[in-house]
Amino acid sequence: MAQEVGALSEVRIVDLTDERAIYGAKLLADMGADIVRPESPDGDPLRKRGPFCEDDANEPSLWHAFFASNRRFVSLDLQTQSGLDQLTGLVRNADIVLVSEGAFGVAEANLDDALGVNPALVCVECSSFGREGPWKSYLAPDIVAGALGGAVSTTGDVDTPPLKAFGDLNFIVSGSYVAIAALSALNHAKETGQGQRVHVPVHQCIASCLEHVFMWYWYSALLGPARGQALERRGSLHWSNMYVVMQALGGSIMVTPTPNIDAQLAWLIEAGEFEDLIEPKYQDPANQSQFMVRLMEVLRSFVGSKDVEALFLEAQSRHAPYGWVLPIEKVGENPQLEARDWWRSYSIGKHEVKGPGTPYRFSETPWQMKPYVDSDVDAEHVLQDLGWDDDR
Amino acid sequence: MRPLEGIRVLDFTHVLAGPFATRLLGDMGADIVKINSVARATAINATNNPYYTMWNRNKRALALDMSRDEAKRTCKDLCAKADVVIDNFSVGVLDRWGVGYDLVSALNPDVIYVQMSGMGQGGPWSDFVTYAPTIHALSGLTHLTGVEGRADIGIGFSYNDHAAGLHGAVAILAAIQARRSTGKGQRVDLSQFEVGVNLLGPALLDLFGNGRAARPAGNRLPYDEVAPHNCYPCAGAVSDDIADERWVAIACMSDVHWHEFRRVMGEPEWSSAPAYATAKGRVTAIEELDRQIGLWTGQLDAAEVMARCQAAGVPAGVVQNSIDLAENDPQIAASDFLMTFDEPNPVIGTTYGDRLPLTFSLTPCDTYARVRDVGEDNASVLSDWLSMDSEDVVKGENAGYFA
Repeated sequence: MAQEVGALSEVRIVDLTDERAIYGAKLLADMGADIVRPESPDGDPLRKRGPFCEDDANEPSLWHAFFASNRRFVSLDLQTQSGLDQLTGLVRNADIVLVSEGAFGVAEANLDDALGVNPALVCVECSSFGREGPWKSYLAPDIVAGALGGAVSTTGDVDTPPLKAFGDLNFIVSGSYVAIAALSALNHAKETGQGQRVHVPVHQCIASCLEHVFMWYWYSALLGPARGQALERRGSLHWSNMYVVMQALGGSIMVTPTPNIDAQLAWLIEAGEFEDLIEPKYQDPANQSQFMVRLMEVLRSFVGSKDVEALFLEAQSRHAPYGWVLPIEKVGENPQLEARDWWRSYSIGKHEVKGPGTPYRFSETPWQMKPYVDSDVDAEHVLQDLGWDDDR
Repeated sequence: MRPLEGIRVLDFTHVLAGPFATRLLGDMGADIVKINSVARATAINATNNPYYTMWNRNKRALALDMSRDEAKRTCKDLCAKADVVIDNFSVGVLDRWGVGYDLVSALNPDVIYVQMSGMGQGGPWSDFVTYAPTIHALSGLTHLTGVEGRADIGIGFSYNDHAAGLHGAVAILAAIQARRSTGKGQRVDLSQFEVGVNLLGPALLDLFGNGRAARPAGNRLPYDEVAPHNCYPCAGAVSDDIADERWVAIACMSDVHWHEFRRVMGEPEWSSAPAYATAKGRVTAIEELDRQIGLWTGQLDAAEVMARCQAAGVPAGVVQNSIDLAENDPQIAASDFLMTFDEPNPVIGTTYGDRLPLTFSLTPCDTYARVRDVGEDNASVLSDWLSMDSEDVVKGENAGYFA
């Protein structure tokens, strides 16, 4: 039994996910759920995802250590009856089973039977496109999922292809939805004793997290100026035209005159760099769009002569939400993260590596990091607990 | 019955991150009481602004003018009845309104009090003002999302607001489960900045573990030998406008995919070069590989490339824009994902939405109520939560503190 810490310390979960849903299992594990992640005797293929400790593919995967944090791993040979029985025992005695369609153990898990035996069981099933429809069998790693889901088309610039965001941001969306589905269904199960199945299609998850895409399609006539119903990729320029990255001295900075355009104008006047912005023509509401274009031009000139760090701090002191474009090594030195004691030490086999903390803090049920094991050394303990019924 | 029915949420959120979190809970049946006021309902907080309509369905609307003592007292009474109190203001706003955590938790020890501020509670940047593009910049997402040699592209929409909303919903649901176990509510401090930094987990572990600072990688996977893995131009643009360009994403995640992809292309001679036989070789020769593939896709319709690749078991997908998604996507259509609200908005008329992308077998979430006007649900909310009679509600409305 896992040490009882965290918001979900009384929740038992079997994790049969792949990239599409593993982040959801991570979120639940990091909040203290006791999560067992079975893998084949050949090992979880996600252990092959880079980067690796010591930059050596024979060392533990840092990708896996992040996404499979706080798990107990167990190797199951599903070619044997013993292995199948062990999987069945785990699933039937869980509160929640998380699966990705086609991942290890899903076909053998007999979720219908498990729900029959354990009616309070919650089964969350993630697939790329859903259970029906002409694309239901399509293969979609993150870049393809992002392309079809609408996230790629507006990222990039005129001189680049459409771009996926760095990392696995599309599957972080679907994984987050998996966690939401699991906890919502768990709430219902705890209140009523009734479990259920919840289906999570990655495609719709991604499409639901594009603030601009459907809105622009539906309301482009109201949002003007006319740009059509499909937005283009145009670098950092936000769909609203109000946020863009500009070059300052020593680095780049995201500049916006929102939320207080008058305050931004006052700053430019104070600095003596307002050019023609106070001309009467710009007071006419009919010229507001023209004013905004001109304001951004003046800002670009203003920003270009300023030291980036000083400008960022000055903007924030004026409650202007500028953002210094930081390379990752500067993120690693960030004073806010240090002051909030955000970083954690990841114990990865023989390695101790500094890494991310959690995206939220609970005052009463704090997060703790369990050591990550690079193989199924937990198997003996997990199998001793098989069914977890010793303390149920 | 929906899975979160019976959970009461007092919602002080605005713009996108917070309202998206509470929209998710409302879609699943929680009673979301959205606090707004006539004075604050301007620009994107106006109930007829398209942006506002996107994130505030399935919520009841209560008007409180928090500059008035009567409204503050009512707000305190509501906090005492809430399962969840949530805001995404900068640090300190709810304290100034007299409903800070210390006071509310003393009144209501069961409360789950969620603060989704930009930088979190405490620290030298805690009062910094942020929107999603600010977070993208500070977290490294802007620097890393781009192509080699450029660090000024980033993400052209407010991704981190969605991510923060999703994480906010997860945190609330976990805290509800914790309360079931411990019998106590608690405070949840969600820093949208920490949400954003967390998204780069493997790259940060690589930074600290190996001393390697990630750099923009375009569409390549920065740590894995996978090629081709890119977006390629296709035929069929209906104009020279960049928004009308047609592209397809192709990702050969294994040598098997590559061999099948070669067959899809008709096994052109260039593709048989020994350099392309292994993933390592293809990554090394990526620029020429991408050029050759682009020449092939450039002659074809993007949907045709996708269909031919997928039929052969090769991951590929059209780079879909909003028109593709709304009009031509058979999966979106088959799942009835997009919908029109039954009741029109009084000002902008017909409004639209995308359904919750979760299908519950026992507790289907198929109720979608339109966005409500400021104070439209004053009477029902104040009656349900505080047993206030209608005369007192009208009195407050006429006096302006429920407005």
